[in-house]
Amino acid sequence: MTKHLLRLYIAGRTPAADRAVHNLEQLAVEVATADLVIQIEVIDILERPQLAEDERILATPVVIKQLPPPIRRVVGDLSEREKVLIGLDLRVD
Amino acid sequence: MQVTMTTASDNAVIPAADAAEESTNKQPIATGIEGLDFVLQGGLPAGRPTLLRGAAGTGKTVIALTFLCHGIAAGETAVFVTFDEAPEALLGHAEGFGFPARRYLAEGRLRILDMRPDRNEVQVGETIELTAILARIGFALDSLGATRLVLDAVDGMETGYADLPSLRGELTHVFDWIRDRAVTCLITVGEYADFSTRYGLEDYIADCVIALTQEVSNRVMTRVLRVVKRRGAAHGSNENPFLLDRGGIFLVPVTGSVLSAKVSDARLSTGISGLDAMLGGQGPYRGSITLLSGQAGTGKTSIACSFARAACEAGLSVLYISFEESLDELIRNQRSIGIDLDRYHRTDGRSVDGLGALLLQPVRAVELGLEEHLMRVIRSVRQHRPALVILDPVSGLAGRSRDPVAKEMLLRLLYLIKEEGVTTVATELLGDDSAGVSHLDVSSIIDVWIKLRRHENDGEMNRLITVVKARGLPTSDQVKEFRMSTEGLRIVDPYLGESGIVYGTARMARQAEDEETIDQLHIELERAHQLRAELSEIQAANERLARAEHEVKTADLDRQVAQIERRLAAIERTRAAIGRGRA
Repeated sequence: MTKHLLRLYIAGRTPAADRAVHNLEQLAVEVATADLVIQIEVIDILERPQLAEDERILATPVVIKQLPPPIRRVVGDLSEREKVLIGLDLRVD
Repeated sequence: MQVTMTTASDNAVIPAADAAEESTNKQPIATGIEGLDFVLQGGLPAGRPTLLRGAAGTGKTVIALTFLCHGIAAGETAVFVTFDEAPEALLGHAEGFGFPARRYLAEGRLRILDMRPDRNEVQVGETIELTAILARIGFALDSLGATRLVLDAVDGMETGYADLPSLRGELTHVFDWIRDRAVTCLITVGEYADFSTRYGLEDYIADCVIALTQEVSNRVMTRVLRVVKRRGAAHGSNENPFLLDRGGIFLVPVTGSVLSAKVSDARLSTGISGLDAMLGGQGPYRGSITLLSGQAGTGKTSIACSFARAACEAGLSVLYISFEESLDELIRNQRSIGIDLDRYHRTDGRSVDGLGALLLQPVRAVELGLEEHLMRVIRSVRQHRPALVILDPVSGLAGRSRDPVAKEMLLRLLYLIKEEGVTTVATELLGDDSAGVSHLDVSSIIDVWIKLRRHENDGEMNRLITVVKARGLPTSDQVKEFRMSTEGLRIVDPYLGESGIVYGTARMARQAEDEETIDQLHIELERAHQLRAELSEIQAANERLARAEHEVKTADLDRQVAQIERRLAAIERTRAAIGRGRA
């Protein structure tokens, strides 16, 4: 079983942030299987700016795949499903 | 733009309008670059953004680092946001310029925010927000209580997030936020693709715009700084050349020269008693500018070295900038005329045994731009604070181009040295075809102008020296002879003979010749006197003779008269006797 940890950084509840949260959650539901567990954490950097500093975030929304390595980053509202899957290297067999 | 950023204003402490009003009353914030602060009349506008634009390598980052570290050194805290260079590289730069950046970082007085776009980041969708930038900067500013902010190479954002329609609006928002944040901020951008104009940085955001450019002329590069705009305050808009090297940024404002030099009555000996005498007895005034003009081999450098020695002997320090001879050459060559420069030469500039230190700085004139030379000289002068600066030859700087800029630069250099209260001795090499005419056109600023020339006659070359002018000094009007030998330098009065003024061996020859003539004439004169005396005697003798003859003739005639009268009387007596006898 592979566990994927996806952190979605947003800067306030903006429409783009909402779309990104929605898109990512939907994608997680779609690709999740018994062998592929996807955990999503949504972090608002306005509340925790130090985390934005640690991750060197410039643009939001941005999703960072922390686990498994290597680290992958995808920025934007995640509206294109295929590009997100490739960008985060989520293998769908 | 699809998204509004309601959160942005959370970080804005003071509304823009208030900030603008407030800043006009605030003292400007010094950048720590003396010349730049002068041009900006104090520094960057307090609590406002300043735009610093220039192509790669013009020195933007160095100016930004200096601005930050100057503030930190004075007890402030600062945030540096880099969009281009790695924080590690920046720390290296700063330390290279002598700022203890790593210590500042460890002490929590400096923070570097790494905002280099991640090239591996995949973009999905057309909307991105840059609120994170504001959040990070705001967080850093707040946690440090920072008063100085730098956004370095902010145009790096555009290459990082190309083709995103929302980028433009987002970046504009970032700049608006910076403006409203009311922190003294320096934003640097490259000249690429008019970034600063397109985002309104130049017209709307920045209260002050500084442009850096590089000019290459005669294969030599000059860096130039210009204040394009300065809202609410006066500023010089001239192009100010500046120096960027390991010593950091050094800028001498074009208009910074004001004649405020202190006037001194003290004098500085030339080290040649005869020359001192030509200049009213004690040599030129301290703080004055002396120009030695002459063709090759007329002894300009030797006189300059004599000045140097005299100053060192008097315990004054000397900065000798040699544009032609290397250090060893200079020392060796001057030894041949009895001037041992090595005795005073100190690389550390410290005086020893009451002797002034002589700091010799050989510079190859062709290596650097004129401006760079000017700034290096001024920097050395400020660093070492010598009493006397020798520029040998100054024509090596300005003479090689007919460019009026070169002459102006030389004038500025002389003004600046004068302003420091330092005495200057400059030499000027005149071409053999110059007919002794100076090409420098700097006579207006020269206090003492000494001309040297060659005088060739009868297979011999003599050196002649004239004081063309010497402000405020009683000077000799006479062209004198200047002799260089192993015993040193000497001024010799010329020989004024029957057929003009002569110098050198000819002087002696002519002198001998003339003496012979005099002897001859004396003899002739004596002879003439004698003749004259004799002539009178003859005249007297003749007169005596004539008188004697006259007397003899008179006596003779008198005798004749008496004789004739006697005969006549005898005849008369006889006739009377006859008459009586008949009657």
